[in-house]
Amino acid sequence: MTLDSEVDALRRVPLFRGIDATKLRLLAFISDRTHFAPGEELCRQGEEGDSAFIILEGEADIRVSTPDGERTVARLGQHSIVGEIAILCDVPRTATVAAATEMDVLTVSKDDFLRLLKEFPDMSLEVMRTLAQRLERTTQDLAAQKASGAAA
Amino acid sequence: MEKSLFRFIWQYSARQQMVILLITVLSYPVSYILLELPKLIVNDAIQGELFPREVLGFEFDQISYLVLLCFAFLGLVILSNGIKLVLNVYKGRLGERMLRRLRFELFQRVLRFRLPHFKKVSSGEIIPMITSEVEDVGGFIGEAVALPAYQGGMLAVQIGFIFMQDPLLGLAAISSYPMQAYIIPKLQKKVVLLSRQRVRNVRVIADKIGESITGVSEIHANDASAWHSADLSDRLYTNYKIRFKIFNWKYFIKFLNNFMNQLTPFLFYLIGGWLVIEGNLSIGALLAVIAAYKDLAGPWKELLAYYQMVADVDVKYQTVVENFDPPDIYPVARLVTDEPEPLSGALALKNVSVSGGAAGQEAFDVTVTVEPDQHLAVIGPDGSGRSEVLQLAAGLLGPTSGRVEIGGRNLETLSESVLGRQIAYVGPSVHVWTGTVRDNIFYGLRHRPLRPPERTGERKADYARRLSEAQLTSNPQYDIEAEWEDLDALACADVDDLVEHALALIELTGLAADVFRMGLQATIDPESQPEFAEAILAARRALADRVAHDDRFSAMIELWQIDRFNNSASIAENLLFAAPADSSIGIDTLASDPDIEAALKESGLYTRLLEIGQKIAETMVELFANISDDSGLLGDYSFITQDELPEFERILRAAKIGSGKGGLTPTDEQRLIGLAFKLIPARHRLGVLDDDMRGEIVAARATFHKRMDEAERRFVVFDRDRFVAPMTIEDNLLFGRPRVDRRDAREKIDKVIRALVEEMELRRPIIRAGLGFHVGVAGSRLSAGQRRRVALVRALMKNAPVTILDETATGNSDDDKALRKVIREQLDGRMLLFGASNLIVAEEFDHSIVMNQGRMTESASGDDNAD
Repeated sequence: MTLDSEVDALRRVPLFRGIDATKLRLLAFISDRTHFAPGEELCRQGEEGDSAFIILEGEADIRVSTPDGERTVARLGQHSIVGEIAILCDVPRTATVAAATEMDVLTVSKDDFLRLLKEFPDMSLEVMRTLAQRLERTTQDLAAQKASGAAA
Repeated sequence: MEKSLFRFIWQYSARQQMVILLITVLSYPVSYILLELPKLIVNDAIQGELFPREVLGFEFDQISYLVLLCFAFLGLVILSNGIKLVLNVYKGRLGERMLRRLRFELFQRVLRFRLPHFKKVSSGEIIPMITSEVEDVGGFIGEAVALPAYQGGMLAVQIGFIFMQDPLLGLAAISSYPMQAYIIPKLQKKVVLLSRQRVRNVRVIADKIGESITGVSEIHANDASAWHSADLSDRLYTNYKIRFKIFNWKYFIKFLNNFMNQLTPFLFYLIGGWLVIEGNLSIGALLAVIAAYKDLAGPWKELLAYYQMVADVDVKYQTVVENFDPPDIYPVARLVTDEPEPLSGALALKNVSVSGGAAGQEAFDVTVTVEPDQHLAVIGPDGSGRSEVLQLAAGLLGPTSGRVEIGGRNLETLSESVLGRQIAYVGPSVHVWTGTVRDNIFYGLRHRPLRPPERTGERKADYARRLSEAQLTSNPQYDIEAEWEDLDALACADVDDLVEHALALIELTGLAADVFRMGLQATIDPESQPEFAEAILAARRALADRVAHDDRFSAMIELWQIDRFNNSASIAENLLFAAPADSSIGIDTLASDPDIEAALKESGLYTRLLEIGQKIAETMVELFANISDDSGLLGDYSFITQDELPEFERILRAAKIGSGKGGLTPTDEQRLIGLAFKLIPARHRLGVLDDDMRGEIVAARATFHKRMDEAERRFVVFDRDRFVAPMTIEDNLLFGRPRVDRRDAREKIDKVIRALVEEMELRRPIIRAGLGFHVGVAGSRLSAGQRRRVALVRALMKNAPVTILDETATGNSDDDKALRKVIREQLDGRMLLFGASNLIVAEEFDHSIVMNQGRMTESASGDDNAD
């Protein structure tokens, strides 16, 4: 469990893909590495979010509460990022994340991430680019869906 | 108080002044002979004839006569310097004693000021008066009488001699004196006036600085530093101007003096020469007179210098003393009388008015009677006269008209030994003293020294000296080392009993949770409290048991184990497996400790740690080099502060060069090792520590412990079965570290510790340990609410028949309501005056009065809401 392995994991996260290695190292260094036992919750649906989680090891269940009670909607594995929207803007958590196995998680807090962005404007550009690409893709998907909907 | 410095000096040191004068006069023949003897040696012994000589019946040839005279000379040198030494020490001691007397008198006068007087004076002004301003007075006192008497006498003798030679020349010799005697005081008066101005100005400067420090947060919050700088700078300029003027006058006076003194020889040569030429005076007489005049100049100069000093010191004395003589000062007896007669009966304010302060700090024609067992609410907003009425009732404020009585006795005439012990008062702004919680809670019981400590041998002699000095300077003879707590006030058998009482009150007033927290962070001496230490060890074992059986809990902690590396603790702690006995030693200083350095070298870890330190420094420099200092990232996460970064860059460059010239100095190495010491592996994850290294560190503990045995108990080893004195109680209970890689580990562990402490009945002892918590300067480490509760416990501890609380627990919150209930239960059957601005509070009381604009507007008695 060293910084290097964490940097490795960070690099696989799309949001951080364009950021250079030194800055990822810094991000890793100022983030907390936390262990979770099975069943322990990383965050709860509806709570105010202030950090993103990057799964270094283990798996987590994503649960959403439905009228019929809580339902597991997905399972995330190594190198997944959860709650990354929370470190960019204030939104309540949209789901509950709980450890499915023993887990090692890197917790990136919103304050630290924003401080880094302020410190390195290049980093903001990279994040913006990634977000823009994602938006573009979503728009295309939506257009395709509409087109197929109209065709039907 | 004596208005003039001389009256003060004469009143308290007349006898000593006479002794000084006597010794001075006695020393004169000695120094006279000392001056004559060399002449005798040269003229008589060396160049003389007619040997052998007879001295005191013994015959001396030339050599032995020379030896005799030389030894006589040596003896006189010793005697004369001995007298000077004795005289100087005597004068110095007298000065110091007088200074002590003066300073104490001034301080006691401050204590005797009436409360309203403090609206006019500030501590910033008073402090320099008592400390620095009177300093010069002490140096002067030894000279005050002897110098003018001695030099004056010398002067008179010389003048007499000149007059005997020739009255006309005598007149010439003193011709400039009347001029000087007339002009110089006139000029000196200007200096005196300026000195006064200067002293006042410096006081204002001191006051402004003091105020700036008190209100420093306001200065920053309002960007007012420019204004304060300008203000102070202006005062400094005024100071400069005044001082410059003083210099001008002072040196002008000096110039005038010198000029006039040298004018006289001019007259001598003119008149004397004329007399000689005319044949009315022999040349020999003229020369003798000129020689005598030279001797005259010395004493005269001394006298003038003395005059200037008197003028200077006297003005300092007066400018100080005039501030300590308000007309309405309390008599000394009010402070020093020690007749604790009980006060009983009803408290009665009869047509009482008080004024003199600003608007809103007055009360008019208040008449109210409170029975000995009555609880009365005094309601009114701030500025309504509520606080004034309560202070009147406490005897803190004297009425301008009317009477305040308890059981028919006028409070004005009672001493503080009655008022301060029979009445407990908590005002609207409470003061918490710098010291421990315990000091503050027992403060209301420390009226006089009651149980002096046992003193033997040297300590006893030292105490006797201290007492006699106090007596000589009219200082009080209270013994500061004695136990002052008045056990009788609470009918307690011993101090332990008193502490129990205090703990009960702390519990009742809701201060217990706070003091408990303080107790967890406190350290104790296991040798003086072996049972408590043992109980904590038992709790530690129970906690360890819990760790062994509860997996979830054990995942939160890394316990200290002699054969295991603790990843949640720093390398320094892991290596030493001990804590410095002196808790002020930080990790940084550990690296430069010679014992530790030696142990590191012995165990072969020195170079390894150096490498680790170097790697950390490299990483830090790499990560943080481009970070600006205002980001805050550096301070929060780095081992290194912004200011240290360049320094470590230099050290890293030096490390590349290797040892030798330009390489690492021993200080650089210490810094790198200090960096390695701070590494907490689980938190910092720099990958600089492998399992082998961990093993080596654990193995090195033995080397360290062997060395520590020799290091004279400077370190206390972590021993699972022993209390570790430098650790806080909480750390001793846990004997490990919350894991930094588990979320909320500390909070969860805290909860468990709390439950365990409750279960093992350790709560009380820990609260007791919390009494030793240091509250900071004027209670700065306590919150406002805690300060008020401490003051409340202090008042309740007095167990007084009359209790007066102002603005204490007056809110509508449940906490405050509960506290009011506790207060009233505690004071059931005794008199309570409860001041509040909140009308709702009145409903809880059977009796209440309402103040409005200084007047009592209504008086509700129990009849309205009873039945």
